[in-house]
Amino acid sequence: MFQNTKCECGHQNPPDTLLCESCGKPQTEVAEDAPLEMRYDGMARRSQKRNPNPLDLVWNFFSSVKIAIIIIIITLVGAAIGTIYPQGNTAEYYEQTYGWGGKLYHQLGLSSMYDSWWFVGLLVMIGTSLVICSLDRVLPLYRALSKQQIRKHLMFITRQKTVYTGPVEGNAEQWVQELAGHMKRRRYRVHTDGTALLAEKNRFSRWGPYINHIGLIVLLLALLARTIPDWKMEETIAVRDGETVQVPGTNYYVKNEKFTVEYYEEKELPDRLKNQERPKMYKTEAILYQCVQSCGEPGIDPVLEPVKNYDIIVNHPLSHKGVKLYQIGYDDQPLLKAVKPVIEDKQSGKVYGPFDLPMKDPQTEFTVGPYSLSLKAQYMEFSLNDEGNPVTLSRDPKAPAFIFMVKGPGIDAAGEPYMYFPLQKDKERFRQDVINRDLAPKVEIRVDGMENVSFTSYTSYLLVRVDRALTYVWAGLGICMLGLLMGAYWHHRRIWLRVDNGVLSLGAHTNKNHFGMRADVAWALAQMKIEVDKDKLDNGGYNS
Amino acid sequence: MGKYRKPIQIVIMLGVLLLGGYAIGEALFASSDSDRPEVGSAAPNFTLLDLTGKQHQLSDYKGKAVVLNFWGSFCPPCVKEMPEFERQYLKWKDKPFEILAVNLSEGDLTVNNFVKDFDLSYPILRDANKMIERRYGLEQYPSTFFIKPDGTIMDIFVGGMTEQDIDERIEKLLQT
Repeated sequence: MFQNTKCECGHQNPPDTLLCESCGKPQTEVAEDAPLEMRYDGMARRSQKRNPNPLDLVWNFFSSVKIAIIIIIITLVGAAIGTIYPQGNTAEYYEQTYGWGGKLYHQLGLSSMYDSWWFVGLLVMIGTSLVICSLDRVLPLYRALSKQQIRKHLMFITRQKTVYTGPVEGNAEQWVQELAGHMKRRRYRVHTDGTALLAEKNRFSRWGPYINHIGLIVLLLALLARTIPDWKMEETIAVRDGETVQVPGTNYYVKNEKFTVEYYEEKELPDRLKNQERPKMYKTEAILYQCVQSCGEPGIDPVLEPVKNYDIIVNHPLSHKGVKLYQIGYDDQPLLKAVKPVIEDKQSGKVYGPFDLPMKDPQTEFTVGPYSLSLKAQYMEFSLNDEGNPVTLSRDPKAPAFIFMVKGPGIDAAGEPYMYFPLQKDKERFRQDVINRDLAPKVEIRVDGMENVSFTSYTSYLLVRVDRALTYVWAGLGICMLGLLMGAYWHHRRIWLRVDNGVLSLGAHTNKNHFGMRADVAWALAQMKIEVDKDKLDNGGYNS
Repeated sequence: MGKYRKPIQIVIMLGVLLLGGYAIGEALFASSDSDRPEVGSAAPNFTLLDLTGKQHQLSDYKGKAVVLNFWGSFCPPCVKEMPEFERQYLKWKDKPFEILAVNLSEGDLTVNNFVKDFDLSYPILRDANKMIERRYGLEQYPSTFFIKPDGTIMDIFVGGMTEQDIDERIEKLLQT
């Protein structure tokens, strides 16, 4: 069907234009008196095109705000369903905890729905719709606002929501110029064309929603970027008192200088919690190192340079260049670090030593007084297996044991084995004296006093978190907020007027706060000695 | 604007297809923990020393079938496996094949004593501070990775294996 889209002012409009792009005359056939639809200044939406090809059809689908709202509602409903039960547990967990409802929940895949393909698909659709909806509207709007005609069609002016018509005395052009001066004082940008005037302010607020959308798109892309390897990592590391551990996936090392726990005092606790050790505060005095040489080379200790000292407590992570270390817990089981035992000649009562015996990689040959000790075997957590052979149950020094070959006065020249348990409880449990039957009356290896024992009392658990996308998430949110502020706190106001044969026709439009718009118009007219009640300017229609 | 309409549409739709396809594909095929090596993925490279101080780099074994075993003297099934691996090593060692047994960051003395006791002839590598163990995402011991000559993982076995378990996997590994 052929449609004549040429306006009476001579401007050729695209199909489906509501208001002439040039003079603003309504392009709809039916004559109405109601206020005009001013959305996008009456421009045709970009995608509205005759004979759409398949690409246009997809484009048109995503360009519809109605479709966008439907997608958003589906996403919101989906996201809400995902909060019914906790996410990310096993099938058994749901069935045992929530019965058949939980079982169904898991079977429907709702237990990990935020990562599911269809939820991600919905987000992708929202993103697409954001781009296409915005583009389809912002370009025509930009075009309309950047080349506005000053002299508008009378029908355009008198069908605005704020209108005034009345007589004007004297020279029309001078009158318009004088009004222009007043409008400029109210920070309007004023353009005149003989007896016609256009005053405009805060046009930038119209870009608010689109900047907001750009922010949302940045946000969505940032969330997507988290799936790139190395952009997001979460891992727990255990660092013992005094120990230095590599931060996985990075070139950093973290040392636990000192770990401290403070417990609640009895009087601070309610009755039902009394007589329990309740931690009040725990912290890791940490040093972050960077490896500068021999990194990851086997058998060579890396060369470390300190980067940062920080006391890590809950919710106050150590943060350095996108790597964050959070305090997430601790273990207070004491582990033996080193002992300084002495060796006693039981016959003479003479004591020799002490000598250093660390639990981790001790030396194997010791000379103590007249004795020489050769370390033959070491067990971190000593035990006997089913066959009665000595074994270690773990690699942590929970019940350490050492087998020495001892040589010295009164001992067989070839040496005699001696089993040594640094911890008193193990010595008794495994009956050290019985094991060392022959040697026990001759020598004794023991620790004199607690000052010769060093423990690592705490193991600090740190969560390593790398999230390179976080900066972009914040940037996206910032842009989003900027757009919201622009659109919400400033209003685009425009006043058109023309004087024809001593009759002033004035129309004003704003995208928000018509009350303020009318006040501006009433003020401007008052400057020109036309007193008008600002409520009388209201031309009806929906006013916000 | 009119003449750019179509190129803009095409560029945007392509962008959407690419990014959206990536996002949905990631959601469809991503495993719960993508950092951990899996069957079919490339075995993470490492360089470790053996007991004699010789360097072993996994990538140097490209072209050979590699059985990568993680063991500790504190883990009874690991201990039980070691002689079985030794027999398998002797059986297959003329083929392009290697067993690399990574000790779980234990002390020198412990490892040396253990290897002497069991008279093991295949390379025993020394991990330190659980670094390589962590890179392989180990949760239980023993864990054994069967790595194809092209460097990808054919199979992962967690727990103690019988000699037959080992034998049939090596045979399959050598066929690839």
